[in-house]
Amino acid sequence: MPSSNRTHEGLRNRMPIVTPAIVVIIFAAGTLAGASGALLGIGGGIFLVPFLHLGLDFPIAHAAGIALTTVIATSSSVSAGRAGQRLINVRLGMLLETVTAGGGLLGGVTAQLLAPATVQRLFGIVTAIVAVIMMRRLGSSNVILDPAAEPGPLGGRYYDEMTGGTVTYRVKRLPLAVAASFLAGNVSSLLGIGGGVIKVPVLNAWCGVPLRAAAATSAFMIGVTATAGAVIYYGHGQIMPPLAAAAVLGVQLGSWCGLRFGARAPVAWLKVLMACVLAVVSVLMFVRGGR
Amino acid sequence: MSAAQDGLTTAGTRLERSIGAVLRVGVTISSVCLAVGLVLEILGGPAAVASAALLQAGIIVLVATPVARVIVSTAQYARERDWKFVVLTGIVLVELLASAVAALVFNTHL
Repeated sequence: MPSSNRTHEGLRNRMPIVTPAIVVIIFAAGTLAGASGALLGIGGGIFLVPFLHLGLDFPIAHAAGIALTTVIATSSSVSAGRAGQRLINVRLGMLLETVTAGGGLLGGVTAQLLAPATVQRLFGIVTAIVAVIMMRRLGSSNVILDPAAEPGPLGGRYYDEMTGGTVTYRVKRLPLAVAASFLAGNVSSLLGIGGGVIKVPVLNAWCGVPLRAAAATSAFMIGVTATAGAVIYYGHGQIMPPLAAAAVLGVQLGSWCGLRFGARAPVAWLKVLMACVLAVVSVLMFVRGGR
Repeated sequence: MSAAQDGLTTAGTRLERSIGAVLRVGVTISSVCLAVGLVLEILGGPAAVASAALLQAGIIVLVATPVARVIVSTAQYARERDWKFVVLTGIVLVELLASAVAALVFNTHL
């Protein structure tokens, strides 16, 4: 088929070349993406992938592969910092990881088989949804039971600094959490994002997990999810070590700054700005995919 | 204390601490390897060989860290005889292994 040949040739022509300038640019982009991701609680991948693909013209699979390494780094460092606070629901995380890792594996394989145009359209759809969710703001209808209540086998209990009280919750509608996690794992590997944008709203809105615990548990899980996908991209030569290193270090620095100075940032204003950025990204991805 | 409640007991806290330690060590080692490797890469010249090895090592440690975290969890659940979670974390390990196998399959095809 001539058209698929052309696509293939196009991909080869656009293979990233490692130069000091590119390394510095990716480091800077990673820092910005990491900071925005930390401030908004959605991770940096959703900003990094379009930058690498649309901005630097990397093939979308290379962009996703590099972004997945930053997802792993963010998950490990954020969870290392939180371990011991009981905010991460380790048991729920371990249970849901059985499906996110499976989804991640499938997504990584699918990414190698799908046409880039299909991946671009999918990315466009997901960014559009995230932009809408960000604008609507999640309702904080957390189920806070009596502190003496029994949280059940998968529930949790943690001390909330904001309110100064102990929060206890039970996990409801587990099959729904499992289904959302499987989908999140697929989307994560396919598009190079963490997948928290799917899991956190579902865990919070329908499964009874308070927002902070849902976000911490999701951040804990995405390291394993992204690993299942990243290994496949790595085997395929789509994760070039110097470029991934620049992105990982940038995102680490950015998310550290975001968490450190985040309290003073005008988050509401940032949310509107980033929702607009994502809307533009969504349109651009569709334009690319439609070519 | 039944296994079902261990998420809220000292066993749960112990697991969280060891997980935290594994993640911290992994992130530190990989970040240092990646940072030094990247600086050597930019400097160029005779350091190029070392930089390639360091960058490769950094990526491998980065990817191996979540895997190590799952292995540590499986071991800890086994010590506590929490067989349900031994099986669950075991499934995750098998999936991670399968993804490595899938990576090799793709590698030889190209």
